[in-house]
Amino acid sequence: MSENCSEAIEQLYQYLDAELDELTASRVRVHLEDCSGCLDSFDFERRLKVVIRTHLEEEMPEPLVDKVRELIRNERQEQGAG
Amino acid sequence: MVSVHVPASIGLRGSGGYRARFMADQANFERDALQYSRQLYSAAMRMARNAADAEDLVQETFLKAYRAYDTFTEGTNLKAWLYRILTNTYINKYRKDTRRPSEVDLGDVEDLYLYRRIGSEESADAARTTEERVLDGLVESEIKEAVESLPENFRLPVLLADLEGFSYKEIAEILDIPIGTVMSRLHRGRKAMQKRLWEFASQRGLVPEDAERP
Repeated sequence: MSENCSEAIEQLYQYLDAELDELTASRVRVHLEDCSGCLDSFDFERRLKVVIRTHLEEEMPEPLVDKVRELIRNERQEQGAG
Repeated sequence: MVSVHVPASIGLRGSGGYRARFMADQANFERDALQYSRQLYSAAMRMARNAADAEDLVQETFLKAYRAYDTFTEGTNLKAWLYRILTNTYINKYRKDTRRPSEVDLGDVEDLYLYRRIGSEESADAARTTEERVLDGLVESEIKEAVESLPENFRLPVLLADLEGFSYKEIAEILDIPIGTVMSRLHRGRKAMQKRLWEFASQRGLVPEDAERP
């Protein structure tokens, strides 16, 4: 693993989170074109991120929004009365 | 009810100046804010860890947001504003209920924890197969457990980034912590999660024994 590799790995999350400035991001991209080891690890992390996001989403119970609307309606009436 | 500091706006990047600011109108609240209810519920579930408390959290969040809506600056980041109220509501409840310190440390975990443990002595092709097996084989309950087992101060940044896709700057504003703290907690929280996922993967035989990249 070269110095460039450790630098790339250090910036991996910022790169995948689109938090690097354009110049730094392009430096990472250049390294990834040359280094299949780093490209492979970046690719793995990117896919893991997608898997995590997909599995964390939750089906919302349908009546919840109605309950919220009702709460707000009650609140509005109280405000109107007060 | 616990009072929560509700910021007037979030993410007012470079605004102000000559541009007039418009305060939001409560009459538009349902139209503007309720579109985020499904997302807020997902985050609330990962915070509260059970459906009844998550529903309470979402209801309380919207009620507080409605009451404070005329202090919200129209055109600024409504989603982040709602998440800040959700987070504060959760933190207040949580601290009151459990009296557990909110700042817990995590042991240090190496970078690329999961990736490096997948396939080493085998060929590159075999490693690729193991990667596929792990990424496809991890089930919803394991991913949720890995996030939910994180201490609160790491779990919240991870949720905001990985579930909601907020930027580091938005997360810093929602949690009211410096951006450098967001980055280090996110980094360490994700690595701790990977360690947990590795344990699940090996328990279920998704990975060969003693597989580790050099």
